[in-house]
Amino acid sequence: MKTIYLVLLSTLLFSCTKKKDINSKILNLAVTAEIKGMDPIYASDVYSGNEIARVYEGLYEYHYLKRPYTLVPNLAESQPEVSQDGLTYKIKIKKGVMFHDDAAFPNGKGRELVASDFVYSIMRLADPKLQGLGWWVLQGKVEGLDDWREKYSKTDKVDYNDKIEGLQALDKYTIQFKLVKPFPQFLYSLAMPFTYVVAREVVEKYGKEFINHPVGTGPFILPEFKQSNKIVYKKNPNYRKVFFPKEASEEFENYLVDAGKQLPLVDEIIVNIMKEEQPRWLSFSKGKLDYISIPKDNFESVITPDKGLVDDFQKKGVSLIRSTGLDLAYIAFNHDLDLFKNVKLRRALSLAYNPQASNKLFYNDTATPAQSIVPPGIAGHIPGLMNPYMGQNIEKAKELLSEAGYPNGKGLPEITYDCPANTTSRQMGEFFKKQMALIGVNVKVVTNPWPQLQAKINNRQVMLFGIGWGADYPDAENFLQLLYGPNKSPGANGSGYDNPIFNRLYKSASTLQDSPERTALYEKMNRMAMEEVPVIFGMHRQNFILHNGWLKNYIASDFDWGHAKYLNVDINKKKELLKKL
Amino acid sequence: MNIYAYIVRRLLYVIPILLGVCAIIFILFNVVSPDPTLIMLGKHASVEQMESLRRELGLDRPYYVQYLDIVKSAFTFDFGRSWSTKQEISSMIANGAVPSLTLTLPAFFLATLVSISISLLVAFFRGKFFDKFIVFVCVAFMSISSLAYIIFGQWFFAYKLGWFEISGYEHGFPYFIPYVILPIIIWIILSVGPDVRFYRTVMLDEVYQDYVRTAKSKGLSDKIILFKHVLKNAMIPIITYVVIQIPFLILGTLLLESFFSIPGLGSMTLNAVNSLDFPVIKAVTVLSAVAYIIFSVITDVLYTIVDPRVRLN
Repeated sequence: MKTIYLVLLSTLLFSCTKKKDINSKILNLAVTAEIKGMDPIYASDVYSGNEIARVYEGLYEYHYLKRPYTLVPNLAESQPEVSQDGLTYKIKIKKGVMFHDDAAFPNGKGRELVASDFVYSIMRLADPKLQGLGWWVLQGKVEGLDDWREKYSKTDKVDYNDKIEGLQALDKYTIQFKLVKPFPQFLYSLAMPFTYVVAREVVEKYGKEFINHPVGTGPFILPEFKQSNKIVYKKNPNYRKVFFPKEASEEFENYLVDAGKQLPLVDEIIVNIMKEEQPRWLSFSKGKLDYISIPKDNFESVITPDKGLVDDFQKKGVSLIRSTGLDLAYIAFNHDLDLFKNVKLRRALSLAYNPQASNKLFYNDTATPAQSIVPPGIAGHIPGLMNPYMGQNIEKAKELLSEAGYPNGKGLPEITYDCPANTTSRQMGEFFKKQMALIGVNVKVVTNPWPQLQAKINNRQVMLFGIGWGADYPDAENFLQLLYGPNKSPGANGSGYDNPIFNRLYKSASTLQDSPERTALYEKMNRMAMEEVPVIFGMHRQNFILHNGWLKNYIASDFDWGHAKYLNVDINKKKELLKKL
Repeated sequence: MNIYAYIVRRLLYVIPILLGVCAIIFILFNVVSPDPTLIMLGKHASVEQMESLRRELGLDRPYYVQYLDIVKSAFTFDFGRSWSTKQEISSMIANGAVPSLTLTLPAFFLATLVSISISLLVAFFRGKFFDKFIVFVCVAFMSISSLAYIIFGQWFFAYKLGWFEISGYEHGFPYFIPYVILPIIIWIILSVGPDVRFYRTVMLDEVYQDYVRTAKSKGLSDKIILFKHVLKNAMIPIITYVVIQIPFLILGTLLLESFFSIPGLGSMTLNAVNSLDFPVIKAVTVLSAVAYIIFSVITDVLYTIVDPRVRLN
């Protein structure tokens, strides 16, 4: 009898389970946070940005297989025509690009993309009623755009028919931007999801619900977005002719198997929202996810001491990909306090901190201790640079502490270290406290919920705080601005470091196009940051990513937008490897 | 007093209570909480942008206008849109409540059934080995962190044995069933410890009453005494304990939902708090307050049904 019940129960369960199609090319991905919505102007977090970039596209994108990161045209026809003074950018767009079919268009058929769509989309980003989160990208840069925003900031309605001097469609396929001052990073803004193109009639049809009705020109279609545990995209059958690149940097030369094939290469993407590490890891191990960033707790069980992959996983066809992220974790001083205007004190604290030990404890010994502010992989980083104030050197730290006027920490007040309230951040704080105690400096760790920490930094109620920065675009300027005086909190310069010489250098570099001259300036600022120790430099993190053997063409990137179209799934290999899992 | 008049009177209490709740929300938000615009604008916030955002969110209006706004939304249940996700709050709640309830309702119902049954048995065997053993097991179960059950259960039953789905959810009946079975079992295991201890105390209080002795001396069987008399008399504390938990079932269960990727309301509230998403926090607080009042009225009415001596006045 029991057996009958069991059989009945399992039949019932089986009949409740939706069948999974193993014969189509389906990408199974996981994201670790809620996706807020599908409106490009709100794509401020990396997760929403990645989802938006499956449906929407922008003028430029990063070449999939080239490093250092190189911008290539996406919806643009070619590289822009830039005027001599670096102020005017004329961009031709591709002809014949179609929006996805949607009820907002006549007969439900997607219409052709035109230059005025970009004008409209960028005006949306500036619209004061919408409060797009990417406004900082263009704020103070495009002629007339700030005035337009200001004009409507106190009215109820915004007029999109206004003419803006610096943002115009010259004809059906040409856009022209006029900048207020040279801004060499401008093109990077045109590769960010914030400036991706939307169609006016779709926005107007759905109104506030537009956020749930993504209609772009991209390789995948999502008829309706619902905040749930998964998002399912289908291949766009009308996607224009876009092909897998035929060139690659040396390191990616063996990624050219699909070169010349039409994109996208898969039929469907299933994005699973999985916030916890364990279910992500178990799902990957069962073959239900195609790739995964190795959770901290599972690291030692799959990575050998020499940072390779354990045999067991290799036999299952799993591959390991390592890539250094364009980011920086650091401990900032509050430079508004007279205490930290004392450079010897800052150097002493930096020397007492042990980045190697921190790397072992918190990063599984995979991160790169940062010598200064610019991470490896972009111009301005100086290979081989050794920070003379990098720890741990207790003797020298004590010496400097005495010179700073605080022998053995005497006369120093208790220093607070503020950090977010999660376990790892608190542990990092405790670790820092222990190290400072070695030179007689008394540190108190204060944990805060994230909003409170931000508010404390903004209100200058902090002494030291642990924080990180991830690149918005691959340019040292994005890191150097963390120390630029006028960027003080609530801007990105939370430490409030304000050095006239550094500010002057930054200002002169900010208008220069990529050139040896600009790189020299970046390097000068990078060295200056090293000497001045405006913050205690921590780590550049390294990503360890595993992917199952059937996933093809996967490479790690700091800017994953739009990469799903390059990925491929080998169905036969999947069938074969699934048996081993 | 007429039961309907009682219900109406109690429900009218909602008005002053809601006004109070609104005042508390308002004070907490305006006095204690950090500036939400700073969180919303993130790492590239600027003073101008914060000001402009404050204006759009209506945070620059006089305090009394902002307070009246809260009161208005509390009484109309129109909470507008989330600041963080820009989604309509009513649909966020509607979308999340169903998955939450598919997990919490059956789990709660089964856990209560199991706990009451065990505690009746324990009352029957009071003082004997079985009673002590169950109490020991309950305490042992309660001493282990809930996270341990979730992590072990998911790893062993879903991953190692493959009996259940590791995580995920499908909307619609019956597709959600395979995804909620394991979380339901874990919920039951988590609740049985404290519940049995509570119900056991309630039952034992009754078992030593005079009427039980009278029934025994009249020669009634233990079974009849337990089910017909003890259980009936123990109903008042049981109802209080059970009914008042029901409104909170809608809010889901943060850990289980998060580990099993069930798109319920558990994480919605937490996300809202972390991102200072005031409209969502406001909606959840107001709805919880209203639900609490409604269910406490239901509890009172149920008292009169299970115990005719109870008068509503």
